[in-house]
Amino acid sequence: MSYKFLIASLLLALCHFDLEAQERVVTGRVTAKEDGLALPGVNIVVQGTARGTTTDADGNFKLDLESKDNALIVSFVGYKTQTIPLGSQTILSVVMESEASQLQEVVVVGYGVQKKSDITGATASVKGEELFKQPVLTATQALQGKMAGVQIITSGQPGTSPQIRLRGVSTALAGTTALFVVDGVLTDDISNINTADIVDMNVLKDASSAAIYGSRGANGVIIITTRKGASGKIKVTYNNNIGFRQAANLVPMANSAEYNNYVQASTGVVPPSSSYNTDWYKTILRNALEQSHNLSLSGGSDKSTFLLNVGYMNDNGIIIDNNFKRLTIRLNSDYKVTDKLKLGVQTSYSNSINQNGFNNLKIDPNGNVGGVYNDAYRAAPIIPNIVNGKYGNTSVYQNVGNPLLDIKNNSVKVAENRLQGSTFLEFKPVTWLTLKSSIGADWRNSLNRLYNYQIIADNNTYVTPGGNQQNPLSSLNVQSTQTFRWVWDNTATFSKKIGKNDITFLVGTTAEKYSQTFFSALRKNVPADPSLWYINVGDANTSQNDGGGDAWARNSYLGRLNYSYDGKYLVTATLRRDGSSRLPIQNRWQNYPSVGVAWVMSNENFMQSQQLFDLLKIRASYGKVGNDQIPTNAYTKTVALNQAYPFAGGGSTAINGAQINQIIDPNITWEITEEYDLAVEFSLLKSKLNGEVNYYQKTVSNALINVPIPRTVGDADGVILTNAAGIQNKGLEIVLNWKDKLSEKLSYTIGGNITLNRNQVIALNGGQNIYDGGVGSQGFTTNTDIGHPVGSFYVLKQIGVFNTDAEAAGYVDKNGNQIQPGAVAGDFKYLDAKGSGPIDLIKDRVFVGSYQPKAYYGINGSIKYTNWDFSLGIYGNAGNQVYNGKRAARTYGTDNIERALVYNRWTPSNLTQSQPAANVGNLPASTYFVESGSFVRINNITVGYTFTPSVLDRLKISSLRVFITSQNPFTYKKYSGFTAELPGGPTNSGIELSTYPTTRTVAVGINLGF
Amino acid sequence: MKSGRLKKLNLSTGALIACLSAVLILSCDKSFLDVKVQGMESTTTNPNLAQDLVTGVYSSLLQGDPFGNGDLHGLAFYSATSIMSDDADKGSYAADQATTAGQMDEFTITPTNQFCNTLWSGHYNGIGAANQALAALATASITASTKNELKAEVLFLRGYFYFNLVRLFGAVPLVLSVPKDAHDANTNPVYQTRAPLSLVYDSIVKDLQYAINNLPIKSQASVGHATKGAAQAMLAKVYLYQNQWNQVLTLTNEIIASGQYQLVQDYSSQFKQAGNNSSESIFEIETGKFNNSNFGINNCTVSQGPRVGGKGGWNDLGWGFNNPTLSLINSYEPGDGRRAATIIFIDNSGTHKGTVLWDGFRLPSSDSVQNLYYNYKAYTSSTNPSKETYANPGDKDRPKNIIVLRYADVLLMNAEAALQTGGDAATPLNLVRQRAGLPAKGAVTFTAIKQERHVELAMEEDRFWDLVRWGDAASAMHAAGKINFVPGKNELLPIPSSQILLSNGKLTQNPGY
Repeated sequence: MSYKFLIASLLLALCHFDLEAQERVVTGRVTAKEDGLALPGVNIVVQGTARGTTTDADGNFKLDLESKDNALIVSFVGYKTQTIPLGSQTILSVVMESEASQLQEVVVVGYGVQKKSDITGATASVKGEELFKQPVLTATQALQGKMAGVQIITSGQPGTSPQIRLRGVSTALAGTTALFVVDGVLTDDISNINTADIVDMNVLKDASSAAIYGSRGANGVIIITTRKGASGKIKVTYNNNIGFRQAANLVPMANSAEYNNYVQASTGVVPPSSSYNTDWYKTILRNALEQSHNLSLSGGSDKSTFLLNVGYMNDNGIIIDNNFKRLTIRLNSDYKVTDKLKLGVQTSYSNSINQNGFNNLKIDPNGNVGGVYNDAYRAAPIIPNIVNGKYGNTSVYQNVGNPLLDIKNNSVKVAENRLQGSTFLEFKPVTWLTLKSSIGADWRNSLNRLYNYQIIADNNTYVTPGGNQQNPLSSLNVQSTQTFRWVWDNTATFSKKIGKNDITFLVGTTAEKYSQTFFSALRKNVPADPSLWYINVGDANTSQNDGGGDAWARNSYLGRLNYSYDGKYLVTATLRRDGSSRLPIQNRWQNYPSVGVAWVMSNENFMQSQQLFDLLKIRASYGKVGNDQIPTNAYTKTVALNQAYPFAGGGSTAINGAQINQIIDPNITWEITEEYDLAVEFSLLKSKLNGEVNYYQKTVSNALINVPIPRTVGDADGVILTNAAGIQNKGLEIVLNWKDKLSEKLSYTIGGNITLNRNQVIALNGGQNIYDGGVGSQGFTTNTDIGHPVGSFYVLKQIGVFNTDAEAAGYVDKNGNQIQPGAVAGDFKYLDAKGSGPIDLIKDRVFVGSYQPKAYYGINGSIKYTNWDFSLGIYGNAGNQVYNGKRAARTYGTDNIERALVYNRWTPSNLTQSQPAANVGNLPASTYFVESGSFVRINNITVGYTFTPSVLDRLKISSLRVFITSQNPFTYKKYSGFTAELPGGPTNSGIELSTYPTTRTVAVGINLGF
Repeated sequence: MKSGRLKKLNLSTGALIACLSAVLILSCDKSFLDVKVQGMESTTTNPNLAQDLVTGVYSSLLQGDPFGNGDLHGLAFYSATSIMSDDADKGSYAADQATTAGQMDEFTITPTNQFCNTLWSGHYNGIGAANQALAALATASITASTKNELKAEVLFLRGYFYFNLVRLFGAVPLVLSVPKDAHDANTNPVYQTRAPLSLVYDSIVKDLQYAINNLPIKSQASVGHATKGAAQAMLAKVYLYQNQWNQVLTLTNEIIASGQYQLVQDYSSQFKQAGNNSSESIFEIETGKFNNSNFGINNCTVSQGPRVGGKGGWNDLGWGFNNPTLSLINSYEPGDGRRAATIIFIDNSGTHKGTVLWDGFRLPSSDSVQNLYYNYKAYTSSTNPSKETYANPGDKDRPKNIIVLRYADVLLMNAEAALQTGGDAATPLNLVRQRAGLPAKGAVTFTAIKQERHVELAMEEDRFWDLVRWGDAASAMHAAGKINFVPGKNELLPIPSSQILLSNGKLTQNPGY
């Protein structure tokens, strides 16, 4: 199917409708110089006459000429007016240069475009080239630090998407995925999108701008527009970058001597003598080669344009054996069937292969034993990694897997094919009416294959036999998942200018359907040769299989009114009515209204005499958006299947049974966010200084929460999902950008953005606070409760170290009860928060901050000097806490220890009050593990050189730039762990357990155009 | 010409508007949003719901998730019954499960102990499954006799779950119905407050009495299902814990007179797969295979398997928990065949002969095994499929039946009740003794009965509660070196603090915690 589709699209693209050009007719396209985007609404008048036209939404125009006509006047608000002499040419390409380009940017809003100056809500956009120059895996990652209000939390793992938090955490348990709209196709994952294909990413930040997406808008909407071809001769470009990645930061662990010293001090047992000194992180990490290549071909006539881009990426993870490859092919084409009828097709195919991805290596998100990265933290240095092909046996010594064998004992491959496309038909019967119908589809097919090698704990596998890291029978597990979704949008847009009144009115409907099926199969005893890794090879008597599916549908009606009076007074009102099959019938439909107003003060007459402001705009908005990312079965009482029982005993086969073991809330509904937004936008000093100050307050009054219920109810997981919580985010965003051209040779820009956010749980409505963030034997570490940020750390307060046994014994409460009976010198001293000893591991906990930063910021600058370009991006956050969960998961005396703790520990001669004496781990959750999560990082530094045309002419190429770039070259952080960027769910983020290390990349590349 | 174009235009506009209207109408179609939940049965789509739910109640016996959502007969359960008693020590190495099983072994149990948590949730999960099955049975369209029998099976299990709960925690919330909805689950005091102990016992008696009245005798029942005899034996035990000797005597006499049960010749055979559901067996937790996989109580046997520890050299059998104590080993009279059937002795002679088990498997000597004594009753054999068969013999965690009630237990209850009421205690006691290869006793003392129960049912999760029932817990624990045992406190486990927090203190803590 995929091939046919591709071929058909190719044919469509290459068959240009080269209709015979009519005499006395000139056609053309007007684009902006800054971004190459089409400019709609541009006035074109024949010089010396009143005859003229305006460009359509794609910047195209057509004009009948008389023989005496010799020039056209092309004008557009905010752009320099041009006079184009008419020669013999019938096709014109007009490039408009802006007077103050920032103000006149066209922004893609939901179901249409708007000039930035007309927008009444909060949006932010980043150009594709800003994203593409960073050697990162997905475009989302490249957004980090570029926008106020948009927090990106990085993962270093190839093939994964970073986390996006828009204006704070506004849910506790519903989905947190932002909505991506790729050329009109709604999706929640853009790992298939080649960054090189992106023209711009526009984020709808406040509820008033996202309300047009209704129940999909609460986590923010990111609209991605992909590149299109331009008419003219065929352009070929080639871009690449090749570089190395390495772990950005490692925590030095004890070497053998230090380990022996510490273990002896903590356990009193001398570890067995060993000549080895293994650095386990060195064993499993590497400098990884990364490369990406893009070849694109674009062109077209006045009737049709096309763009073909082929991208290939090969990214080796920094953990050995990990690899991610992706091939993307994009073909976008547009056809002008008649003056009034247009057709467009955007298609993208991607094929990715992710091998030995970190998440597939049995990582337990709760930080229990297992997982290569965790094992590397715990494995003792006195055990060798591998000697003459035999593994060091860590499990026989300390019940921790050999990290190297953790990787080598299995092979995981996830192969995905994805075809995403949309096509639209646009009909403009009269100038004031546009009818548009578009259908988008997204088809994904993934095949996961996990092969577990047979591992016998004998002399052939290990240096010393025994232990628990073994697998007596090899096994093969395959899972195939197919996902299909389609969305069909129909809109009618009425646009009319009556005097100084500019009115645009949009109505539309959308329908969307999603379905997914998966099945999996497992057999054991499959030989180790990869050519035999098929289910039929395994022992049929060990067959197991599973399968399942999901389906939902959405249906919506939407309307939007934009009104502008003389460019000074702006009003936008939207209403979306959303229906979702995921909700019970009584809650199925919901309205999402919004209204925004703005006053462009700088357009007032009284402002015309002042020279300071080029733009001064005040805007205010209110809107409602929803989050319906809840499980499809949340409101349906379902029966748990396969609750079997083998009545006959004696190894017999069980009889199938069932249980009803989930108590459900039949009235579940989607989370509704209400948001107020107030902002000032300004442009000063001939538009050298641009900025924006934005205040927002958004409140979710019915956030879904897993309300723990008494276990006596018999609910299998002890919780009910219900709409109980209120969560509020208040914040301030400040953006300032400065640009200046000092001479023809030297220009520079510098800009910064900062977001201050305050998150708070404001209500639980009879629900219970949520304990989460489980860390090994410590239990939970976070508490989501009224008056505190979602997922606040909730632990004992460590207030010192006992210097003597007597001091510990004398630590008593007001009634003389010992607070820490049994404590000895060198043990931590904890605050008796409730004032009644002994310490209670739960009741004496206190709130000590959350993973949510009080502020996050970005600083971006660039310099252009002759042919050289230089750019720098900085990102940071401040005021948040992180939990050193890996350190906390140290639960055995034989686990390795961080080098710093060997030397800084409390001893009778080093009476430090911040580190305990040598210990066997298993310390209770306390402030000892809570550290500052603040960090500042240089996100990207790039230096490029663009060759001058004189050089290029000899090489027969039209453009050439070479560059060197470094992603994440330097981080300053207070945290003593690996990385302070710790993604997770709303109630369990900021805890370092098995997080893939963040990476540092240095790459070189070329941009070549023919 | 101009008007013609206009007309054409209007036509196409009309057509498009018609299309749009069609779309609108299509979208309005309500059925578009009526997408059923896929691949999940609802209560209305399963025609055999009631029967399946009854099987599901049995399935809850197999809960073995001591670190997560519930444990009914797994690691947490044997920790609270066996490791906590003088029969066994925690085993493994000192730090292993120190905060769970270790606290139980040493009586330093705190209300946050995860095993207390999962024992609580495991039993209530079973009770919840039973209540759901009862609710479904009430409306199921099946014959009255089938319905009554299924209901009796469910009530037998619910009675057993509550019996365990009162022995573990004392008075507990008495939940006998399904919550109406989430709000009910969160606010109804039934779920958050303890019922008086007597009411819980009344409910247990009522459930078991219904089971006695409606269940078939063993020879007429399907294997593995609850029977009249099982309900009688369970009820006898319930009365035993309340010292209601006449009822114990009556019920055990009825079981003996039913002729449905007899002691097996070979004591040890009951603890092997071939001895599952023997003539002596009254009620067992059944295990086997499902979906071509081992199917039993997770980690129940592997956790008790002999452990290599730091000593190296062989692929050990498990995690090394639940080690029999010297105190148990020394309790056996000379010549008692049950000692060797209950305890695996690791060769510590220095001759490196090792220990050869019943199936021929040779365990290495003490230089390669962490501790010296292991629970033979938890051993599973993978050496030879003709001895024991498993879906996946290579998996160390092989499923194994657990005997909840057997005839020897009934005989000893009968003897104890007879002794208390002045009847014939010697006959039942001596049946048990003779099978073990020991001489019959003439005059039977209370001490003799206690001794016989101790060794006959050793490592069978009964000892700790027997000691508590007899009032011997403190002395026995102190004698076994478990000096932290506090009388008046440690007879019961603490109520999980998370549950007390959830109830806003309405659920009260046990004394001393």
